[in-house]
Amino acid sequence: MASAPTASLPSQQRHDEFDTEVRALARQLAAVSGAGLRHPLRAAQSQGMELVSRDLALRTALFRMVDVAPACSGPVELAEHLAALLGEVGQQSAVVKAGGRAASWPATRRVTGGLAGGAIRRMAGRYIVGETPAKAVPVLLGLWERGVAASVDLLGEATVTQAQAQTYVARCEQTLEVLAAAMGSWRGRPLLEVDAAGPLPRVNLSVKVTALTPLVRPDAPERGRLDAAEHLRRLLRRARDLGAHLHVDMESVDAHELVLGLVLELLSEPEFRAGPSAGIVLQAYLRDAEQTLERVLSWAAGACREVPLTVRLVKGAYWDHEMIEAAQHGWTPPVWSEKAESDRCFERATMRLVQAFPLVRPAIASHNLRSLAHAVVCARRAGLADGDLELQVLRGLGDELQDAIVAQGLRVRTYCPVGDLVAGMAYLVRRLLENSANDSFLAQQASGVDLDELLGAP
Amino acid sequence: MSFKNEPLLELRRESERDRLTQALQSLDRTLPIAVPVIVNGDRRDRPSLHSCDPGEPERTVAQATVATAAEVDAAVVAADGCLLTWGRTLAGERAAALRRAAGELRSRRHTLAALAVRECAKPWIEADADVCEAIDFLEYYAREAVRLESASELTQLPGERNELYYRPRGVVAVIAPWNFPIAIAAGMTAAALASGNAVCLKPAEQSPACAHALVEALHKGGVPAAALSLLPGEGEVGAALVEHPGVHTIAFTGSGAVGLQILRKAAELAQGQRHLKRVVAEMGGKNCVIVDADADLDEVVPALISSAFGFAGQKCSAASRVLAHERIAEVLTQRMTGAMRTLLVDQAQRFGVDVPPLIEAAAQQRVESYVQGAKVDGANVVRVEEVPKHGFFAAPALITEVRSEMPVVQEEIFGPVLTIERVREVEQACEIVNAQAHALTGGLFTRNPRTIEAVVKRTPVGNLYVNRAITGAMVSRQPFGGNRLSGNGTKAGGPDYLLHFVEPVVVTENTVRHGLAL
Repeated sequence: MASAPTASLPSQQRHDEFDTEVRALARQLAAVSGAGLRHPLRAAQSQGMELVSRDLALRTALFRMVDVAPACSGPVELAEHLAALLGEVGQQSAVVKAGGRAASWPATRRVTGGLAGGAIRRMAGRYIVGETPAKAVPVLLGLWERGVAASVDLLGEATVTQAQAQTYVARCEQTLEVLAAAMGSWRGRPLLEVDAAGPLPRVNLSVKVTALTPLVRPDAPERGRLDAAEHLRRLLRRARDLGAHLHVDMESVDAHELVLGLVLELLSEPEFRAGPSAGIVLQAYLRDAEQTLERVLSWAAGACREVPLTVRLVKGAYWDHEMIEAAQHGWTPPVWSEKAESDRCFERATMRLVQAFPLVRPAIASHNLRSLAHAVVCARRAGLADGDLELQVLRGLGDELQDAIVAQGLRVRTYCPVGDLVAGMAYLVRRLLENSANDSFLAQQASGVDLDELLGAP
Repeated sequence: MSFKNEPLLELRRESERDRLTQALQSLDRTLPIAVPVIVNGDRRDRPSLHSCDPGEPERTVAQATVATAAEVDAAVVAADGCLLTWGRTLAGERAAALRRAAGELRSRRHTLAALAVRECAKPWIEADADVCEAIDFLEYYAREAVRLESASELTQLPGERNELYYRPRGVVAVIAPWNFPIAIAAGMTAAALASGNAVCLKPAEQSPACAHALVEALHKGGVPAAALSLLPGEGEVGAALVEHPGVHTIAFTGSGAVGLQILRKAAELAQGQRHLKRVVAEMGGKNCVIVDADADLDEVVPALISSAFGFAGQKCSAASRVLAHERIAEVLTQRMTGAMRTLLVDQAQRFGVDVPPLIEAAAQQRVESYVQGAKVDGANVVRVEEVPKHGFFAAPALITEVRSEMPVVQEEIFGPVLTIERVREVEQACEIVNAQAHALTGGLFTRNPRTIEAVVKRTPVGNLYVNRAITGAMVSRQPFGGNRLSGNGTKAGGPDYLLHFVEPVVVTENTVRHGLAL
């Protein structure tokens, strides 16, 4: 079922018109971004991904290889792991057998390990924009020149100590400063810098509450909230003083109440009434996503902040984790079990968000052309200018899409992780899984599923 | 259909937490609870033994009646007397009674969890898990008993009929610990009852009220009064049961010292005793976790912290020795030190508490003496600084720069103490594990399948956990029990556990009449 565009347009005919418009826009986006798929290197990567997607055992082995790579001391150790992991693949193709042999033989293993390490670093380079904020600046400038805004995310190891939390806060502050210093001189990009609700900061940093505190306890959200509050206040102040946007990412359900409660509480404090611009994330794969959205909207209505809260709508990246955790504890999964249910929830939330503008700013984050086109059409029907809606994609996954969105004259922001390979591995594995999940839009698009089928209402 | 564990409460939801808090408030209004001796359904109250809230020792949780020698004898006689009835019912009927008892526990789960919080200072998550595990044991052994009754696959040839029957062994003395005050008592009792035995339950003196709640549920579920007696008390009650000539099986979970004593005593033949006593003993551990150089420390640190310090380390499965590859030992120690300092040491009823008080003052003194001893021996000791003054709290300790002969490294402490040692490679860690007398649980963190394979081949432990915490075994998923001095190799919650409570009888009938198989 598709959402009716507005309550006043219930008829089938209008519904069909809406759907036609969504499909037409999605096709335009596909035409431009699809060109990227024909690039020889990208095509090879896509095909490689598809190959890996088909062989689950091989996929597991390769992801485990990527996962362990940063902990290996050198090529020989990389090769040892590669050989052991490939050895676990039951039905081995000729390529896998040859790879396993090359990683085992003393004469070839150093070279094989080196090649594997190089391949992983190159792959990481596609998803991670730089090891440090300073190194990321040229890439971010390149994006800006193409008409693309960015949100920087600092990758790091899991925060289990207070020292790590403090290091993370310091890195965030430093990043805000580096970006503010660099971005000030960039040329004006009106589409990316102002909407009907007011100015949009150039500097945009995404932060994770679980990195701000080691005290994340699902049964006691107040422990983490109290501990993270001072750190987050510090970052909010810094962002406010530098005119930057601070976006608080959402993570697994175990931290959901901690994150949401903390952000809404702090943004209600008088010192943050005038700023900074801030945002939260709504995960449409949660069964209670719409209740959460209503909670956020009624908070926004009562908070009287001068800068509207940005709500980034995503499908959600912890689906497997939530399903496994629920199964192991005997709980009803907090996430929809069918992808189509998440997609439908995403569309309903999109509608609600664009209608709520400018009380909140909608930022629709997806690589699903249907979801994005649906958001644009919803916004237009709700009377928003194109520049009032932000679309978001991930670096490495949505590169072609990002350019296609620019080409349509729409506003896009790319989520850009920064950090070293060790810290980035968890992120990287998640992205790779997402890219190769059989029901993901990207994987289906790459494997040649008929576009018409993909663009249908979920 | 595969076995499904009782779902834990989803404590990340506020409404669930509120229900528990309310249950605790209601429970507090009923304290202290009178725990009687129950023999053959006859309830006797002469309260003399008190259990208290370890976090607030002035609060009496239960006033228990200590069973006399005569009551122990009466309970064994009554149990023996019902073997002809209870022991000969169909397994399906006994299973139904256990399932009804499981239902009783389920319907009272919030109150029971609150009771474990109060009487044993189990933090909510663990208290709830204890109730769930008790339910699991009842349900699991119920179905296992039915399976055992119908499983008889002997070779049959023409002219003879071979049948294998499993008969209950007789009277089972269950001597239960306080650290899983409902679950372990329930497990040993349910296994005995499911397979047709009659039980005399001697709960730990620290947790009589939890055991009493279990007995109530079983009686309410339909277990005959004579088939289950409750005999609260201290060591003498247990000793009297062990020595009683009418007892056939002793199911014990507790310390190694007591376990060995039981094994010795059980081997002595009393006057007029016509059977060998069997002992099912689950004893202590000194559990090692090997951390290889390729481990993901983001996973290792939280797993080690929860395995070592969860419930203040008062689990036989708890981690006490980390054997870390020298390449990552320093980073790991650093992160462990920092992580340990974030631990919240506070009352069990506070949600999010990491380390509750210990069970009693003696445990507090034991932990202190090991930690002070390690300091004197020159080890480096890091402790949590903020610890409540009142109640039996012990500051968690992380101890490094230890030598292998130190008592803190060699002996079971049963408290929040973890040592970290460096090893050159996994091979050396395996040798250290292999040199130990205990072999209960073990852990391994590595991302190399070949390392896993190699350690699995060599490990002596009963339960090896790879890339995860080493506590929290689940019924039917991780049958639990140790080898060597940790126990006699039984696996609670596993498919062969009931076999320890039965005696096989094989009947062979000649079916040939006049040269014909009739």
